Amino acid sequence: MLSCFSFPAVIAALALLGGSIRGADAGDLEFFEKKIRPLLVERCYECHSEGKKIKAGLRLDHTEGWRRGGDSGPAVVPGNVEGSPLIKAVRYTGLEFEAMPPKSQLTHAETALLEEWVKRGSPGPDAAMASAATPDTAAAKPKQVGLTVAEGRKFWAFIPPAKSDVPAASPTTKNWPRTDIDRFIAAEWESKGLTPAPDANRAALFRRASFDLTGLPPTPEALEAFVRDVRPTAGAFASVVDAMLAAPQFGERWGRRWLDVARFAESSGGGRTLLFKDAWRYRDYVVETFNRDVPFDRFVREQLAGDLLPAATPEDKRRQITATAFLALGPTNYEEQNKDALRMDILDEQIDTLGKAFLGMTIGCARCHDHKFDPIPNRDYYALAGILRSTHTLHNYTDNVAKWVDATLPADPAVETEIVAHEAQIATLEKQIGKLRAAAGNASLAKSVTAASLPGIVLDDTQAKVVGEWKHSTAMPGFVGEGYLSDDNAEKGKRTVTFTPVIPQTGRYEVRLAYNAAESRSTNTPITILHADGESAVVLNQRERPSVDGRFGSLGTFRFEKDGAGYVLVSTEGTTGYVIVDALQLIPIEPRADLLPAVLAGTAGVAKSAVTKTMAELVDPAARKNAAELKRLEAELKKLTTAGPKRELAMSVREAAGEIGDTEIRIRGVARNLGAKVPRGFLQVATPGEMPQFSATESGRRELADWIASAENPLTARVITNRTWAWLLGAGLVRTVDNFGTTGERPSHPALLDHLARQFVADGWSIKKLVRAIVLSRTYRLAAGATPDAARLDPDNRLFSHANRRRLEAEEIRDAILAASGRLDLTVGGPNISAATTSEYGYVFADTRRSLYTPAFRNRRLELFEVFDFADINASVGQRAASVVAPQALFLMNHPWMTEQAKLAAQRTLASADRTDSARVEEAYRVALGRAPTARERTLALDFVHAGSVEIWAQFHQSLFASVDFRYLD
Amino acid sequence: MNPTPNSFLTRRQALQQLACGFGYMAFAGLAAQAAARSAANPLAAHPGHFPARAKRVIFLFMGGGVSHVDSFDYKPTLYARDGEMREFLDQRNIARTGVGATGRVMKPMWDFKQRGQSGRWVSDLFPHLAELADEYCVVRSMHTEGVAHGPATLFLHTGSTNLIRPSMGAWVSYGLGSENENLPAFVALSPTLANGGPRNYGNAFLPSVFQGTAIGRSGQRAVEAGLRNVRNPGLTTAEQQRQFELVRAMNEEQLRAKPGDYELEAVANSYELAWRLQNHAPDTLDLSKESAATLALYGIGEEPTDDYGRQCLMARRLAESGVRFIQVNYSDNTNNPAWDQHSNLPKHKDHAVRVDKPVAGLLRDLKARGLLDDTIVWWGSEFGRTPYAEKNGTGRDHNPTGFSVLLAGGGFKPGFAYGETDDFGHFAIENKVHMHDLHATILHQLGLDHEKLTFRHDGRDFRLTDVHGHVVRDILG
Repeated sequence: MLSCFSFPAVIAALALLGGSIRGADAGDLEFFEKKIRPLLVERCYECHSEGKKIKAGLRLDHTEGWRRGGDSGPAVVPGNVEGSPLIKAVRYTGLEFEAMPPKSQLTHAETALLEEWVKRGSPGPDAAMASAATPDTAAAKPKQVGLTVAEGRKFWAFIPPAKSDVPAASPTTKNWPRTDIDRFIAAEWESKGLTPAPDANRAALFRRASFDLTGLPPTPEALEAFVRDVRPTAGAFASVVDAMLAAPQFGERWGRRWLDVARFAESSGGGRTLLFKDAWRYRDYVVETFNRDVPFDRFVREQLAGDLLPAATPEDKRRQITATAFLALGPTNYEEQNKDALRMDILDEQIDTLGKAFLGMTIGCARCHDHKFDPIPNRDYYALAGILRSTHTLHNYTDNVAKWVDATLPADPAVETEIVAHEAQIATLEKQIGKLRAAAGNASLAKSVTAASLPGIVLDDTQAKVVGEWKHSTAMPGFVGEGYLSDDNAEKGKRTVTFTPVIPQTGRYEVRLAYNAAESRSTNTPITILHADGESAVVLNQRERPSVDGRFGSLGTFRFEKDGAGYVLVSTEGTTGYVIVDALQLIPIEPRADLLPAVLAGTAGVAKSAVTKTMAELVDPAARKNAAELKRLEAELKKLTTAGPKRELAMSVREAAGEIGDTEIRIRGVARNLGAKVPRGFLQVATPGEMPQFSATESGRRELADWIASAENPLTARVITNRTWAWLLGAGLVRTVDNFGTTGERPSHPALLDHLARQFVADGWSIKKLVRAIVLSRTYRLAAGATPDAARLDPDNRLFSHANRRRLEAEEIRDAILAASGRLDLTVGGPNISAATTSEYGYVFADTRRSLYTPAFRNRRLELFEVFDFADINASVGQRAASVVAPQALFLMNHPWMTEQAKLAAQRTLASADRTDSARVEEAYRVALGRAPTARERTLALDFVHAGSVEIWAQFHQSLFASVDFRYLD
Repeated sequence: MNPTPNSFLTRRQALQQLACGFGYMAFAGLAAQAAARSAANPLAAHPGHFPARAKRVIFLFMGGGVSHVDSFDYKPTLYARDGEMREFLDQRNIARTGVGATGRVMKPMWDFKQRGQSGRWVSDLFPHLAELADEYCVVRSMHTEGVAHGPATLFLHTGSTNLIRPSMGAWVSYGLGSENENLPAFVALSPTLANGGPRNYGNAFLPSVFQGTAIGRSGQRAVEAGLRNVRNPGLTTAEQQRQFELVRAMNEEQLRAKPGDYELEAVANSYELAWRLQNHAPDTLDLSKESAATLALYGIGEEPTDDYGRQCLMARRLAESGVRFIQVNYSDNTNNPAWDQHSNLPKHKDHAVRVDKPVAGLLRDLKARGLLDDTIVWWGSEFGRTPYAEKNGTGRDHNPTGFSVLLAGGGFKPGFAYGETDDFGHFAIENKVHMHDLHATILHQLGLDHEKLTFRHDGRDFRLTDVHGHVVRDILG
């Protein structure tokens, strides 16, 4: 529809019409001057004329203004009323254009005048109407205000990492450095007059490393062993670090960090939140990636294009498909009704996330215009958008409530054989059942039944809201209640019947409509069902015999909520033939009827037994036998489908078959306002060589992944190296870890960053090697807390002359408390949302597995996570905030979970009766704080517990959890 | 050091008498106290961009979409054309397919009358609010974004249908802080979990201290609603005091080893604030001290008004106590929320009787106490409803292109109606007010310039109104 405004077409149109435009006759000009110009002056000039405002680049104060138009192209297509954006805008029908004038609509007469004017070829004087401004300035595009691409290439982040020489030791610190990292760090102190803090004591160092590498507190035994290790600290520390790197808890801790970056969640949040039941596979994939130290460049490729990469084994294929959930996990509002906009919103979210996650760039800013600060033109955004638009993230783009793509994971051969056999068995059964059902349907329906005798919720036509004249009939037997309704095949579209059932319990219901079939019936009765997950449209062929007992036609299974709005509306719109409405039936599917209140299980016991019989079987012994067989087979089928082996699914994306190609710029980011097409590609500023040629049959995600995961890309290795540094030292070398653009901070140690990034690539993109190199530096081992000199000379500690004190993150707080209470479950991997869960609402968080596995719902969070700044799982977060607020104190002091864990910890302390209270206090301090109490602390504690009960001890433990030192790493 | 229960209380009382109210005086200098205070309490009240006309907002959210053509937007044409089949620019259809749909014009189900001195048209759907027609301003030309509940509800609260943005209450808290350091600045009473759930009172990228504090939740009776974690059910007050004292002493000992770290001091101080919250906040929500006359005014103690009446009265008490933004939710946890009468418009009455008297009671009570003058009361939904029957049935579909909101107090012109929809009440056409404009106008009354209330995130400045919004000066007194 919009392609007719694209540039070549418009230019052609103008050329053809050129004569008539230029040669507007006197009458037309008079019409313009008398009718149109005053209207434009009064209603449009305020925002579209020289000297006032020129919104959207559009001027309506001279002829060239509307001919050339603004950002959206020409405002008027002379002679083409329906095709002129100006007309669409003033009609307030706006799809791609805002309704104009925005404050109030033109009158019908005024709109008609404008239509007339366009029909006449939009005549106007050739000379500028209001001022001497030239047409060129009128239609001038907004200039790029940020850096141009060429300028951008000179910005530090877009210059490839340079080889940097390790600085020579200075006289004052020459004995201090242990590794090259230390040499880079120490080199900056001299000029500032800084000296390093002392090394951290062994206990503090061990606790710090334990949380940093595994997310867990050290056990008192391991801590003690390290403190007492007679080897020099460097060697002793290296062996404990290697053990931590090899532990499965390393992948859990570092995987969690990546999950923040990947805005991992197990529900969609947003408007209508849906559970991501298979998202855990992606979580486990990430943990495994870190544990196996899969090269980071491969990790990038798998997440962006795993489905397209060759796989050596079925296991690799599974991993790679699972990895692409990275693209699918966004907080999508599946209910958005404008599906074009939804599609653009989804890929915008993907661009935003991959930009921040891999490149430290806020590319999303270039959706509506050239980036205001960074060298990212609008067309670069749509070059990337072309790649992602050639990819389907949704199963389809038409449903009221859309759904993501579930990909089938390859099973290993033995399981595959089992599944194939199972599916064959189901197919056979379904065939048999179909035959029996048809036979049952052919038996005649003898008489009517009462609504009360039928199972489920039954509403007879007398309980429906009826619009228009419907004919009541009893002509065809077998109806429910007193008869049925017919639209009499007249006044199509004016007659409707609406059933509004009262839903006694939230669950899934099969919805059925009772009618009788005949040749005269409608073949296309439109029925709308409003249910908890949206609105569904079903078309019923009423010439076909109703499939259930020859009485009810099934309309599908839908979820309804208790007290929620829901209805079934039968329309006659566009139907050919008689529309028949007899009754509505809702059969509970989940939970089952016998678990529901009596109202649902049929109104009485007697009725319940009667309802399982069809009318036919009441009169015909053969039919009765058939019915028994049918019931048996149906039960068998249900058992098979619920119990048998299932194909495993993972959230994924797929190539947009038939829609692969470049996409258009969306002017001002409006989904339906198409501009020129741009070839697929990447950020020009970060592409040193030529753009690749994109295939017409593949989205280009593979090329995108290669571009990001390349040593040539100036950003990728730096961004992940910097994040790793920040995760270990509390602040990045670039402190804005997600923003390497011009609005971000510059690196404090550019040479060190480049050194680390190059070393990282040379080491095969190994995260473990990078972590090890940083942790074993002397810089990492510095004591926390600024010396007075450091506080004065470098208050932000940008030069790392001491360690940054770090607050434990929400998961670390929970895991450490569970470790102290003895309840921590260290099971690695696997799902953690019970299969019966259908909604995050009302979810009870009761497990004691590591917090990594706590269901990550977007709308319902574990309260402890909420209070302690768990990452916003709606957006990519490279570094979390750490707030200090009173609700944290209230949670720790009063939440029932806290008192319960404290009591469990107290019971452990009191378990061995032969220990002194002093020994117990000491043990509690070691477990919670990783150190022994000072003499004053010991006295304080002993005064408090002083031969007390388990409850008093519990209060003591809880107070330790509440104390400052528990929450901070020195 | 051996703490006694009394030493804590005495200390607390001493601290309360200081203007600053925070701080470990024993080992922190004055400068450190100030720094610790601002670290511990970014919610301290601070002025806006210009003198404020109002101090706070009570937002009465009617989840699901009240029908404006059955309540506050009188359209005689709907009677004249009742039953006619016409082409309408149905927004749901347009969003999906780009074209409109045929609909059957449906007249209002409740009769309209002119009310009060102002002669405002209000239907019998809201008889109590009808009596107060001279007290509020009706904006009849609202329009917004999002055709479905999720997107439109998020737009109402955050100014965006899909992107992650801070809620309006969070922006207001960020802009003005709290007038009561014992209470949060932003409270959401009985919020729904559906249609955006916590995002509707969330802080997004603003510091988390600005997020809304939920009291109760939709589906829970208001009588059971309370602040979370303000009591340890297992301990007596004396026992709790002893435990708080232990924590304080432990922290004091730990901080002695690490002087000069303001963040650690802020953590220690957060327990003092917690203690005060614990001792004062529950009183604010305790309705037992209210007179029988006041309870009756709100319909408390009678059905079906008891529940929403309690919420409205709690809102007044929170307003009195200095809370900046109080959202009172009338909704449920379903995806098709309370006022969503697609198929059964008469059910609107069931909801109306639950909120009408409480809302009118709140307005009367605020006025009687002199609070209405500097309190903005905003009553409204995420969108309105269509003037035609949905799919020719007996209900109305969503209508984001034209609907009404009520604005009382806070400098809005009382007894005033602003803007017009078309003859059918479908599209706002005259003096249109976009949701962004409403946001801008409410911020304006609070002394905040919506173009200046920004927060830098991801390298750019964000606003509640994005790059839109105009203050609607015509509705300001």
